[in-house]
Amino acid sequence: MSPTDLSTSKGSAPDPGLQIKASKQSGWQRFIKQIDIQLMVLPALCFVFVFSYIPMYGVLTAFQDYSLFKGFFASDWVGFKHFAAFFKSPDFERVLRNTLVISFLKLLISFPAPILLALMLNEVGNKYFKSLVQTLSYLPHFLSWVIVSGFVISMLSVDNGSINIILEKLNLIEEPLNFLSMPEYFWSILITTNVWKEIGFASIVYLAAIAGIDPHLYEAAAMDGASRFKQIFLITLPCIMPVVIIFMILAIGNIMNAGFEDILLLSKDKIVWSVSDVIDTYVLRVGIENHRYSYAAAVGLFKSVVSIILLTLANAIARRSGNSLW
Amino acid sequence: MKNRWGKSLLLPLIAVFAAMSLLAGCGGGGTPAATTPEKKGSETTAPEASTAKYEFGKEPLEIELYGHYDWFSMPAWGGDPATKWIQDNMKVTIKPILSGGKANQKLNTLIAGGTLPDVIWMQRDGEVERLRQNGLLVPFDDYLDKYPNLKEWAGEDTLNMLRSPDGKLYQFPNWYTKEPNGNGGYMLNIKMYKELGEPKIETLDDFYNYLKLVKAKYPNVIPFEPGLEAQGFDTLYSAFKESNPPTHISMRAVPNGDKLTSLFLDPTYRESMQFINKLYREGLVAKDALTQTEDQVKEKVMNGRVAVYSSADTTKFGSMGHAALTKKDPNDGYFMIWPFAKAGIPKDKINPGHYNSLGWNVSVITTSAENPEAVFAFWDYMTGPEGFRVLFWGPEGLYWEGVDADGVPKLKDDYFTKEKERQDLMDKLVNFQWAGNTGYIDPAKSKFELQLPPEKRTWETRWQSEITWKTQYNATEFQNLDPSKESDEGIARQAVEDIYLEARSQALYAKSEEDVLKVLDKAHADADAVGYSTVLEYKTKMWLENKQKLGK
Repeated sequence: MSPTDLSTSKGSAPDPGLQIKASKQSGWQRFIKQIDIQLMVLPALCFVFVFSYIPMYGVLTAFQDYSLFKGFFASDWVGFKHFAAFFKSPDFERVLRNTLVISFLKLLISFPAPILLALMLNEVGNKYFKSLVQTLSYLPHFLSWVIVSGFVISMLSVDNGSINIILEKLNLIEEPLNFLSMPEYFWSILITTNVWKEIGFASIVYLAAIAGIDPHLYEAAAMDGASRFKQIFLITLPCIMPVVIIFMILAIGNIMNAGFEDILLLSKDKIVWSVSDVIDTYVLRVGIENHRYSYAAAVGLFKSVVSIILLTLANAIARRSGNSLW
Repeated sequence: MKNRWGKSLLLPLIAVFAAMSLLAGCGGGGTPAATTPEKKGSETTAPEASTAKYEFGKEPLEIELYGHYDWFSMPAWGGDPATKWIQDNMKVTIKPILSGGKANQKLNTLIAGGTLPDVIWMQRDGEVERLRQNGLLVPFDDYLDKYPNLKEWAGEDTLNMLRSPDGKLYQFPNWYTKEPNGNGGYMLNIKMYKELGEPKIETLDDFYNYLKLVKAKYPNVIPFEPGLEAQGFDTLYSAFKESNPPTHISMRAVPNGDKLTSLFLDPTYRESMQFINKLYREGLVAKDALTQTEDQVKEKVMNGRVAVYSSADTTKFGSMGHAALTKKDPNDGYFMIWPFAKAGIPKDKINPGHYNSLGWNVSVITTSAENPEAVFAFWDYMTGPEGFRVLFWGPEGLYWEGVDADGVPKLKDDYFTKEKERQDLMDKLVNFQWAGNTGYIDPAKSKFELQLPPEKRTWETRWQSEITWKTQYNATEFQNLDPSKESDEGIARQAVEDIYLEARSQALYAKSEEDVLKVLDKAHADADAVGYSTVLEYKTKMWLENKQKLGK
């Protein structure tokens, strides 16, 4: 789904003339007419089908005692045993809490950050400076988490880490701090790293939406004496609101995905597990690495069900503003 | 609204159907592969003991080897004189299957895909039993007498310990031994020690005071570096009681009479954690002890940034570090000290490391192997003196020519003159030692060492013979205590493991010594809630069985 699709389809009403023409043709004729475009969609559809739909039967293993050696069809069915085990496990509360807290922090900070950046970039007059900032800020998106976490770990390292050296030189601390072994700092480090890595790339969507705003609106506002700030709040923001809301709904649907690689790679010291262990890392460690596939599937399924409920709720609320996903 | 939906849905639907029809053709290939291992099992019938021995060199033999370790990788087979010699003369080629840094997932993929390699080189744990229970391993019993090296060098006791519950032997041990070995201990920087007036370090207090001295004089040096995964903390545990090896910590259980009991409640463990916590709070121990990578540890040791170093394998970085430091300054370097302990503990009852007669790990042969007998024959060749010489010092004629009565090679001049190349070769060969024979190599190495001029003798061998081998604890009876991962005890063990790892971190960083005890009390309560007692019962049972097997 490209950003421009979103802004135009939601922002402007379809041309009535086009609609009449379209309804005269049968679906098949239209399909043939657009065959080149349809063919381009095909690989993506195949991809989704093969990697997202076909493996779906695998969730059934959550109700089995799945054994790698027996295979799917010969494993025993055990009903809700694994769900019960997860809910009763002492880890349940902690894992759920961490997932929700980290997600909520991401929603609160990582979600608005790119909007803010987009608004700021939009106000930058110098074209070259603007594209320089844009390029530099979206580059980290293309680095894998392994590399980014490597940066973070070495910067925060207690043994010659640059942050510790700077803080020591500024006389703010006496001894180097072991940042990644201090649970109280973990969430801040995680969120900061996330914002740094994704802010530029996420802001592209909003910049595109801003670019789609009719310039007449600004001219009219300026004539009426609206300041730059007022223009931002009265024109830019309301105009990109549909896009923001769509992304908000998607983000809420994702609330059970607190992140995975970032957390896994930054929580090297077990002491931060109390704040870092989220559903996905738990599934990997307790489920998959210990061959408890059914347990892993049950926990994963629980997560998906909650996600769907949240998504539906968020959409229902958004529908009242007329900007819902469906 | 509704109308528009209907139309816009039509196209994607058509596309999905089109995609489905395309995919229908390959649907057959996508069925779960879990059934294939069974098929494989029936293809290869149980190995029959034919009378003829497998002859090497007649036909090419390619063996697929999967190293079940995240770190596993190996140099190309045939890329050095030793493996090239084997390839040319015996026509054996080992083809590695790599784990890509995720050994657990890789093995499961191999199982699910039904494409097991011929040999899996792995830890001796519940995983072996899991493979065996599902009929994927080949027993060696029929080959033992036909290819006698393993039986001769490992001995009946060791083989019995390795036998599975069905009484058969499925595991080919690596670095098994009848003699003590192991490299756990403490090593000090020579230069700093001299500059600090060579104080005696015999008790824990001496050790503590020495670290204080180091910190006062060399603020940029790490007084105590406990090595990778803070193994040195486990070493220190041995200093608090006589005959108290770090084995207890790795088992997460402490023997008490004829029972294994909670590690968290063990007074010795609690005392040792308080001591370590004190070292940490006073800045006497590496701050990143729990998070650093092996490379970071290596860098510190190689650059002489540590005053005292300890790990389960102290000599590994010890010899490298010593070489690096003496190169820069002949008066610098490292030396090992006799392990210290609390005052009053007899010197010969301090065990900062452990060994067991079963060695490090094992190789298993899977039912996917086309000719398991040939594979066993090759492993047996590698473990015998004849094969192991090649894999340790290179082929005959390169650096040695002929052997003496004990099977120790006679050195050629090249051994000394081409030291760099020889060392490179020997370092490389370590990667191919899957059937290491400690009982042969250790005495041979010592004897070999005596053929060398004193200044050429290796650092490692010196300290092994003077200190580490004399102080390691025989922990054979504590081997194979772990339940299989899928069992109830196994699930509980995993939960306890997580609790242990977290508690260890918390205890290290605790604000006071009382807090350390609180952390450990809580860890015990948490562990108890997830079934620690059933794990301890299981381990006790296995331990008592082991003792019986060993005739103790």
